[in-house]
Amino acid sequence: GKLLVVPMDGSHWFTMQMVVEKLLPKGHEVVVVVPEVSWQLGKPLNFTVKTYSVSHTQEDLNREFKFFIDSQWKTQQESGVLPLLTSPAQGFFELLFSHCRSLFKDKKLVEYLKQSSFDAVFLDPFDVCGLTVAKYFSLPSVVFSRGIFCHYLEEGSQCPSPPSYVPRPILKLTDTMTFKERVWNLLSYMGEHAFCPSFFKTATDIASEVLQTPVTMTDLFSPVSVWLLRTDFTLELPRPVMPNVIHIGGINCHQRKPVSKEFEAYVNASGEHGIVVFSLGSMVSEIPEKKAMEIAEALGRIPQTLLWRYTGTRPSNLAKNTILVKWLPQNDLLGHPKARAFITHSGSHGIYEGICNGVPMVMMPLFGDQMDNAKRMETRGAGVTLNVLEMTADDLENALKTVINNKSYKENIMRLSSLHKDRPIEPLDLAVFWVEYVMRHKGAPHLRPAAHDLTWYQYHSLDVIGFLLAIVLTVVFIVYKSCAYGCRKCFGGKGRVKKSHKSKTH
Amino acid sequence: GKVLVFPMEGSHWLSIRDVVRELHARGHQAVVLAPEVTVHIKEEDFFTLQTYPVPYTKEEYRHHLLGHLQNFFETEFSLKLVLQTMAAVNNVSTFYVRSCRGLLHNTALIQSLNSSSFDVVLTDPFFPCGAVLAMYLRVPAVFFLQSMLCELEFEATNSPNPSSYIPRLLTLNSDHMSFLDRVKNMLYPVPWMYLCHVNYGSLARLASDLLQREVSVVEILRHASVWLLRKDFVFHYPRPFMPNMVFIGGINCANRKPLSQEFEAYVNASGEHGIVVFSLGSMVSEIPEKKAMEIAEALGRIPQTLLWRYTGTRPSNLAKNTILVKWLPQNDLLGHPKARAFITHSGSHGIYEGICNGVPMVMMPLFGDQMDNAKRMETRGAGVTLNVLEMTADDLENALKTVINNKSYKENIMRLSSLHKDRPIEPLDLAVFWVEYVMRHKGAPHLRPAAHDLTWYQYHSLDVIGFLLAIVLTVVFIVYKSCAYGCRKCFGGKGRVKKSHKSKTH
Repeated sequence: GKLLVVPMDGSHWFTMQMVVEKLLPKGHEVVVVVPEVSWQLGKPLNFTVKTYSVSHTQEDLNREFKFFIDSQWKTQQESGVLPLLTSPAQGFFELLFSHCRSLFKDKKLVEYLKQSSFDAVFLDPFDVCGLTVAKYFSLPSVVFSRGIFCHYLEEGSQCPSPPSYVPRPILKLTDTMTFKERVWNLLSYMGEHAFCPSFFKTATDIASEVLQTPVTMTDLFSPVSVWLLRTDFTLELPRPVMPNVIHIGGINCHQRKPVSKEFEAYVNASGEHGIVVFSLGSMVSEIPEKKAMEIAEALGRIPQTLLWRYTGTRPSNLAKNTILVKWLPQNDLLGHPKARAFITHSGSHGIYEGICNGVPMVMMPLFGDQMDNAKRMETRGAGVTLNVLEMTADDLENALKTVINNKSYKENIMRLSSLHKDRPIEPLDLAVFWVEYVMRHKGAPHLRPAAHDLTWYQYHSLDVIGFLLAIVLTVVFIVYKSCAYGCRKCFGGKGRVKKSHKSKTH
Repeated sequence: GKVLVFPMEGSHWLSIRDVVRELHARGHQAVVLAPEVTVHIKEEDFFTLQTYPVPYTKEEYRHHLLGHLQNFFETEFSLKLVLQTMAAVNNVSTFYVRSCRGLLHNTALIQSLNSSSFDVVLTDPFFPCGAVLAMYLRVPAVFFLQSMLCELEFEATNSPNPSSYIPRLLTLNSDHMSFLDRVKNMLYPVPWMYLCHVNYGSLARLASDLLQREVSVVEILRHASVWLLRKDFVFHYPRPFMPNMVFIGGINCANRKPLSQEFEAYVNASGEHGIVVFSLGSMVSEIPEKKAMEIAEALGRIPQTLLWRYTGTRPSNLAKNTILVKWLPQNDLLGHPKARAFITHSGSHGIYEGICNGVPMVMMPLFGDQMDNAKRMETRGAGVTLNVLEMTADDLENALKTVINNKSYKENIMRLSSLHKDRPIEPLDLAVFWVEYVMRHKGAPHLRPAAHDLTWYQYHSLDVIGFLLAIVLTVVFIVYKSCAYGCRKCFGGKGRVKKSHKSKTH
């Protein structure tokens, strides 16, 4: 079959690419549509890539993202989606959303896509453009994502999410909440309904322009045939799911290669103490100098060999046990028996590599779902979370010593690891299966819940309840009235007697 | 590992049996626990049968369990039938409670079960005696079922269950309902809840005595680590469910064997017209004579060879093309390319065998979920439903000719079949995987939703909503009062002037 892929830049693309590459040998024709300017999408690939020109430069993209990241190092992180919506992130998101306008400006590309008659679209919904493309060409779609921003998974898949025990994103809550936390959770849920549409306004404006009819985010999300979510229930808390929501968490850590000679040498030199892997992900290249010095100091105080992926300026106080590298084979290193701990920004890729390889973690969440990931691992006793703004060298040192020396951390992560890896089918195969399924059957209409066709008050049966209440009240009213009437008839004489009596006394 | 199997009698046993066989094949030891008096459960080489004495005879059992089936051919659907059903259910339930008490108070047997330290209890919770036993033995449980009375499986797992688009059992509603349908959908389960209360109340009391703490039937059911549900979304409407619910619909048509010589001969003799398979399930042994004659007449009018599983007296007008058999390899026959149609009571086993083999159906639902099953297949254009009470020979003849000659029926069932069979993993493997999973991890606590620990008003956030409303109302009240006070202050002079003015005019 023919598959159209609309990916998202950055680390998001890494795992999606794995699925696409697995589809190729099965004889599918794959076309990937990417913007001219990107971090990861420009790399040579062995399938058809169609680029479209965008109105900004690589520098613009880097600047906006750096502005966003830097703000995370400076300001006190507040929890909840709402602060994120009003943060400097906005500029970066505006840039992402604008890609879609550029794509549809390329008339030749649009014409080509129209002629190609694809079976399905495989998309990352982060920049919304994939959803617009699917709707524009009326193609069934498969969504691939860590999670869905705001309440759009609930609306798009009609998956119930009771705010009483399903924590909203980025609130650092678990499934067991106090009354106060539940108040906060519900308010946050309501806040998402109120503010998310304006956050995505640029994206929906572009979509409305392209589709020539006003659309909301819900309109864009609700035709999705299958949702592939990169989570599972060792990280995620149990909650209601829908038949077309498939969990493929851990998809990125199944293929481990032996470590290269360079890294093998480092690992072997570490001796009995082993190594600690330190990476804040592919997106964070620099840390404010003061912070970097603090970190370097702490790292120098532990006996393990540190492998630190860092592209910024080398901190002057870097100890001998710390090796700075521009890039490291994270999953392969974590899989090495000498890996003792993992210092991570707790992005979902890193977390799953930690779980899958059973390495306890020290987490420094920066933004987005990282807060929640860190909180979940901490409550499961598989890691320690540090506040990146407030932490001192001592904090980091203590955290590292705790996860390395306190055996319970290792035990807990090993338990999670064994649960995580015990599954009837590998997540990568599952993802490939569902993409092909949607291609084969031209969507999955039989998995589409009828809830999509109901209004909110119908969904909650408010009209039925109102109707039944009205009947009960009417019956009660009639019974009451007729009783009252009956009473008056029976005791009518007396009443009148009284009245006349009264009038007499006047 | 060691598996304790506590099955339900009747057709329910037939598919759990496949799982037991597969578990045995993978090197597990299975002990099947059954009452001394059984209809279907017999000793087989892939498990150890452990029986326990019960205070009734086989005749009593047959009479109580199967006696009421006869009614469905004779009585109109009416209040009388509902009352009869209630009485029957009540009867059966007292029966099971007696049997269950006999088992649980059998100290010698319980002790021997306890000492064999099972890893898991695999049970059909239709009548959840096995669940109580699992709780008592402190062994994790896996449930295996099609559905429960009152759809308790959703209440017990805390699956959201909106009545606005999820048709309730026995309402014959689809997932798209009119306003009045939705009213019916909400009211219909109410009397059934009473029935369930009666049906399970005595078991809950038995369990409470045994465990020496108050337990409800829902709490008993919550002991399950994983629910294996014989449902599939090709046949059931898409709806929310919980991560510990695994769908294994179609498990019973997995292994098809070549036909025995006897049946092979029948099929070959049928010529170009092929065969029609006719079975009303393993529970219905006899049909009222008049009805049987009507059926036999209709069957004689079609050119296909009829294979009719029937243990009652042979109708005198049976035509030459109809072959009566005491038993038939239903799934193997349906899988034969010469199978043209399937006359079934639309029990879930039969329906799935029809779907899986792609054979259009003529359905004669008798009781329980069979009505709903038939309705669903009919709306999908894969079969014709007959009312078993009213149907004449002509009706049956027409129905058969329609599904055989009208190509759309074959096309629709083939479409359903291809969707149903397109799955990443076979249901039998999935079922066995989850039983083994629970054995390996001693349950699945990470799949237990926190919702179980909430009261109903907490679950629906009513306390939070009440609290927020109270705040809003207080604020409104205070603002109003202070405004009012402010107004009085400002215009106070005027007011007083007016008053004094008034008093003057008096």
